[in-house]
Amino acid sequence: MSKEEFVGSRFFTGGSDTETEEEIISSEEDLSDEGNAASDENDSEDEGKRQVRSAKDKRLEALEACIKAIENAEKINDWVVIQNEFDKLNKIISKDPLKIPRLYIKTIASLEDFLSEALQKEKESKKKMNAIQAKALNSMKQKIKKNNRLYEEDIEKWRQNPVDEPTDESGYEEDVVKHKSRKPAVDDEEDDISASQDNDFIPVGGKIIEYTSDNLFKKLKEIMEARGKKNTDRLEQIKVLQKLLEVAATPYQKIRVLIALIPAQFDYNPSMSNYMNVDMWKSTQKEINQLLTILETNPQFMIYEFMEEDIDDKEPVIEPDQLFGIRGSIVSFIDRLDDEFTKSLQNIDPHTTDYVDRLKDETDLYDTIVRGQMYFEKNELNESTSRVVMRRLEHLYYKPDQVIQTVENTVQQLYPAGLNSKITSHTTGFDPTDLIHSLCVYLYKNGESLLRTRAMLCHIYHHALHNRFYVARDMLLMSHLQDNIHQSDVGTQILHNRTMVQVGLCAFREGMIKEAQSCLQEICGTGRTKELLAQGLQLQRYTQLPAEQEKLDRQRQLPFHMHINLELLECAYLTCSMLLEIPSMAAAGSNPEARKKVISKPFRRMLDYNERQVFSGPPENTRDHIMGAAKALAAGEWKKCQELIGAIKIWDLMPETQKIKEMLNRKIQEEGLRTYLFTYSAYYETIGLEQLATMFSLPINAVTAIISKMIWNEELVASLDQVDNVVVLHRVEPTKVQQLALSFAEKAASFVEANERTLELKQAAGQNQRDQQRQKGK
Amino acid sequence: MASYDLIPRMIPYMDRHLVFPLLEFLSLNKIYPNHDLLKAKYELLAKTNMVDFISELYKQIHDTDEVPSEFASKRQEVLQTLENLQTEAQKVLDIIENPEVIAALRQDKLQNLHFLKEKYGLTDEMVNTLYQFGQFQYNCGNYGGASDMLYHFRVLSTDHELNLSALWGKLASDILDLNWDAALEEVQKLKETIDSKSFASPLHQLQQRTWFIHWSIFVFFNHPKGRDSIIDVFFNPSYINTIQTSCPWILRYLTTAVVTNKRRKNILKDLIKIIQQESYEYRDPITEFIESLYVKFDFEGAQHKLKECEEVLSNDFFLVATKMEFIENARYLISETYCRIHLKIDIGGLSQTLNLGQEEGEKWIVNLIRDTRVDAKIDFKENTVIMNQNHTSIYQQVIERTKGLSFRSQVLSSAIEKSEALQSSSNAIDSIVE
Repeated sequence: MSKEEFVGSRFFTGGSDTETEEEIISSEEDLSDEGNAASDENDSEDEGKRQVRSAKDKRLEALEACIKAIENAEKINDWVVIQNEFDKLNKIISKDPLKIPRLYIKTIASLEDFLSEALQKEKESKKKMNAIQAKALNSMKQKIKKNNRLYEEDIEKWRQNPVDEPTDESGYEEDVVKHKSRKPAVDDEEDDISASQDNDFIPVGGKIIEYTSDNLFKKLKEIMEARGKKNTDRLEQIKVLQKLLEVAATPYQKIRVLIALIPAQFDYNPSMSNYMNVDMWKSTQKEINQLLTILETNPQFMIYEFMEEDIDDKEPVIEPDQLFGIRGSIVSFIDRLDDEFTKSLQNIDPHTTDYVDRLKDETDLYDTIVRGQMYFEKNELNESTSRVVMRRLEHLYYKPDQVIQTVENTVQQLYPAGLNSKITSHTTGFDPTDLIHSLCVYLYKNGESLLRTRAMLCHIYHHALHNRFYVARDMLLMSHLQDNIHQSDVGTQILHNRTMVQVGLCAFREGMIKEAQSCLQEICGTGRTKELLAQGLQLQRYTQLPAEQEKLDRQRQLPFHMHINLELLECAYLTCSMLLEIPSMAAAGSNPEARKKVISKPFRRMLDYNERQVFSGPPENTRDHIMGAAKALAAGEWKKCQELIGAIKIWDLMPETQKIKEMLNRKIQEEGLRTYLFTYSAYYETIGLEQLATMFSLPINAVTAIISKMIWNEELVASLDQVDNVVVLHRVEPTKVQQLALSFAEKAASFVEANERTLELKQAAGQNQRDQQRQKGK
Repeated sequence: MASYDLIPRMIPYMDRHLVFPLLEFLSLNKIYPNHDLLKAKYELLAKTNMVDFISELYKQIHDTDEVPSEFASKRQEVLQTLENLQTEAQKVLDIIENPEVIAALRQDKLQNLHFLKEKYGLTDEMVNTLYQFGQFQYNCGNYGGASDMLYHFRVLSTDHELNLSALWGKLASDILDLNWDAALEEVQKLKETIDSKSFASPLHQLQQRTWFIHWSIFVFFNHPKGRDSIIDVFFNPSYINTIQTSCPWILRYLTTAVVTNKRRKNILKDLIKIIQQESYEYRDPITEFIESLYVKFDFEGAQHKLKECEEVLSNDFFLVATKMEFIENARYLISETYCRIHLKIDIGGLSQTLNLGQEEGEKWIVNLIRDTRVDAKIDFKENTVIMNQNHTSIYQQVIERTKGLSFRSQVLSSAIEKSEALQSSSNAIDSIVE
C-alpha cells in the first residue's frame, strides 16, 4: 500500500474539510512510524530534519503532537480524527508501558469527560450527527472505557491533584475550561450537574455547587440513577452523599439520604473476596445507628421492603398520626454489616493486634443488631425480627458466660432507656443461658425452618459448652436433626459439625468416654477435621480443586476467635479411642476375626505406624504422648500411661484441668485392669482379688464390680470364688483344629450373607431394568 | 418418704375423680397432714356435682354443722338437671331397649342410625343427650350409670371427637366402678384409637398418650392380667418414647411390672438400658436397685436399695399390693446374678445379701436350685454353695453358628427360582406385546 493512497483514503473517510496542518503532519509522522518504524535510516532522516534528541524526548514529542491533534479535533467535534489520534497515542504508550507520562493520563481523563459531555449533548440535540461521526463517537466510547480502566488509579490520582506539574498543564487546562464555558447551555439544570461534577474534579475555575436541603432530592435522584452504572465514581458518590447528609434538614431527608448512603458504602468494594475498609465499616455502622435513632424518634416513618418507589422529589406532607412508608430494608443493612465484619476477620491475620482491634468492634456491631431487633419488634416486622435474632444468636452461642454478660451490659448502656424487648426482657441479674433460651424459643416459634434448625444447633452448642450433656443430647435426638442435615446448606452443616464436636467434648469433660468417642468419631475419624469445621483449608494433595470451589471454601471459613482448638479436639478423641481400643484389642487377643473389629481407624493407623518404627525417641507432641500411653496401657503399665497422658500440655486449655486429669487417671486404672485381665488371663488358673486391687490401686469393691461385669457380659470366661476371694479362670484355648473349624463356620456364614446381598442387589437392578424396558416399549 | 411420693407429679395427668382415691390413700398413710389433705379433697371436688359429699367435707374442715346456703341451692339445681336429662335420655333408651330394634340392629353404625332415624324418629340431639347425661352422672359420682350411658352413646353416635371423649369417660367410670374387666377392654380400645387417630400436632398425641399411660396404671395393677399387658403396651416404642419425654416417673411402675413378671425376663435388658438413659432425669430406690444390680454389680448396694424399695412400695397407691411379690422376685434376681458370676458362695454371705437368716437362707437357696435349675450343689461341711460351670464347648459353638446356613441357602435358591420364573414369564409377555 502506497503512502499517497493511504492518506487519500483517510481524508476521504474523514469527510472533513477543516483538517488543520498539524493533523496532517502528525498523521504523516504516524504513518512513517507505522510504515517503517524499524528502519534506522528513516529514523535518522527524521532526526536530521529536527534536532538530535533522546529517544525519550522523541517519544514525548510524538505524544504531545497527538494530544494537540486530539484537542484541536475536540474543538470542532471531529470524532474520526480523535479516534485515530487516540489509537496512535496508545501505540506510543504501549512501546513503553512501564512509564506512563502524566500528560497521557491527563489527556485520557479529559477526553473521558469530553466524551461524556458529547454523549449527553448528542442525546439532547434534535439534530443527529452524520453516521460516520456517530460511529466513531460510539467506538471511542468503548475504547476509552476499556482503556481508562487500565489507568484507573492514575486518573484518580491526577484528578485529585491536577496541578502537580503546572508548567505543562496550565495551558491545556485553560483550554478545557474555556471550551466548556463556550458550550451552549442546553438546560440550566443539566449544566449545573455536569459542572458540579466537573468542578469537584477540577477546581480551577468554574463555580462550586452548594448543596442545600432544597436541591437535595434532585441530587439524590442523580446519584441513584448513576448507581450501578459503569464509570461512576463510587467514592465520589459517597462523598456527595455525606455532604448531603450534613445539609439534610428534616428527618425525612435524612432517612432518604441514609438509605442511599449505606448501600453506596457497601457497594464501594465490588469484589466478593475483599473486605470493606475498616473505617468505612465503622462509619456505616454509625450511620445505621443514626438511621435507627431517627426512626425511633420519628415513629411516623416506616421502612418497608415492598413499597412502590417514591418518585416525587418533594418533601411529603406528613400528617402527625399517619404512617409514612419509605422503601428500603434495614435488615439487609444489618445483615450486610455483619457479613462484612466476618469477612474482615477472615482476612486479617489472627495473630496480629489488628485482629484484636477489629474484634473490639464486635460490641458496636452487636449493639446495632440488638437495636435493630428492638426496632423490628416494636413495629412487628416478624421476618426481619427472626433474621436479626438469628444474627444475635450467632454472635452469642459460642461465647462463655462472662463475655456474654460483659457485652450485654455494655450494650445495655449504649441504647437509650425506654427501649425494651419482649423477646429478651432485661431484668436485673440476667443469665446468659436464659437469654439464649429466649432467643431460641422465639426462633422456634416464629422462624422459618432453616432458622429453626440453626437456632436449635446453637442452643445445643450452648448447652454442650456448659457441660449439660444430657440436655444437649436429648435436644439433638428429639429434633431429628441428624436425619436430614445432609440435605441442608453447607453453612448449616458446618454448624452441625461444630455442635457435634462440642457435644463430644462435653461428654469427654463429663467422663463419658464412649459417648464422647462416638460423637467425635464422625468428625475426627475422617481426617478432614479442618475442612468439616471450616477452620482452614485442607491441603489437597492429589486433586486440585477448581478455583471457584476454593474461593467458596475460603468464604465459608470461620473467623479465628470462633475456632475450636483442633489439637485439643484430636487429643480428646485419641484419648477416648485409646481407652476403648486398647482393651478391645486385648480382648481380641490372637483371634484374627475379632482383631478386625476396629473402633477408631485413625487411632489404629497411628498405633501401627508407631509400632513399626525401629527407634522411638521420647514423646514430643500430643500424638506421641498418646501413642506412648497406649503402648504402656497395653502392656499393663498403667502408671506410665497416666504419666504420659498427664504430661500433655493441651489439657490446660480445658476448664477444671485437674478434675479432668483425675477422671482420666481413674479411667486408665480401670481400663488397665480390664486390659490386664484380657491379656494375661490365659496364663493363670486363679488370680487374687486383693492382689489385683493393690496392683491397680483400686478399691477391692471396684475390682469385684468390674470383673463381675466382665463375666456377666461374657467378655471373660471366669467366675468369682467368694470364699477364697479369687477369680477362677476357665478359659480354654481352643486347639488348632477347633479354631479352624470356628473360623470356617464364620466364613461359611459370611459367604451365605454375601450371597443374599448379591441376590438382593441383582433383584433390585433387574427390577429397574425391566421397568425401563417396559417404559421404552410403551 | 414424701420425696418418693409420685402422686403430686401424676395429678396433672389425671381426672378429678381419679385423683380422689389417691388422696384417700394418702390420708390413710399419713404422709401429709390430715387437714391439708381434707382441704385438697374439698378443692378437688368443689367443681363436681357430688354436693352431699362436698358439704360433708366442708363440715369436717370447718368443724361446724352449718353449711352455706349455696350448697342447698346447688343441690337443687343438680337434682333438677339430673331429672331433665333423665327424661330426655329415657326416650332414647326406650327406643334402644325395644326388642324389635335390638333384633334389627346390624354391625354398621351408619346404617343403624339411619334405620333408627327413619323408623323411630331418633335425632342427633337425642343421641347427644345420652352423652350429656352420662357426663352428668359421672360428675355426680354415679359411675356405673355413666358407664352404661356412654356405652349406649358410643353404639349410636358417629361423631369422632365425642366418641373419643366418651371412651375416656367410660374408662374413668369403669375404673372408679372397680369394673376391671371392662376397664381393660376400654384400655385396649382407647389405645387403638389413639394410635390410629391422626392428630393435628405431635404434641397433642404425646399429651393423649401421657394421659393414657397414667390412667391405664389403675387398670394394669388391679387386673390379674394387667402386668403382662403393661409390659406389652409400655415397651411399645411410641409409649416408651412418651415415658422418656414426658413422664419418666412411670419407670417405677414399669420396673416393678418387669421385676414381678417371671415369664418376661428377656425384657430386662431393654429396661436396664432405659433406666440408665433416664437416670439423670428420674431415679428412685426401685430403678436404683436395678441399676446397682445390673450396671454396677454392687450386691451390697442392691441389698440396701431393696430395703428402701420396701418402704417406697408400701407407700405407693398402685404398688402396695405387689410389695411382697416384688421383694421375692428381686431376691431371685439378686441370687441369679450372684450365682452366675460366682463359683463358690458362702451361704452366710448370700443370706445376708438377701436379707435372710442363716437357716432361711439355706432353704431359699435350695428352693432356688430347684426352681431355676441352677446347676449347683451345697457343700455342708464348708457351708458353701458350689456352682458347676457349664461352658458351651467349641463343637456346640460351631453347630450354633452353622445351624441356620442350610435353611438360608434354601431360601436363597427358591428366591432365585421364583425370580427366574417371573422373568421368563414377563419376557414371554413382552415378546407377545412386541
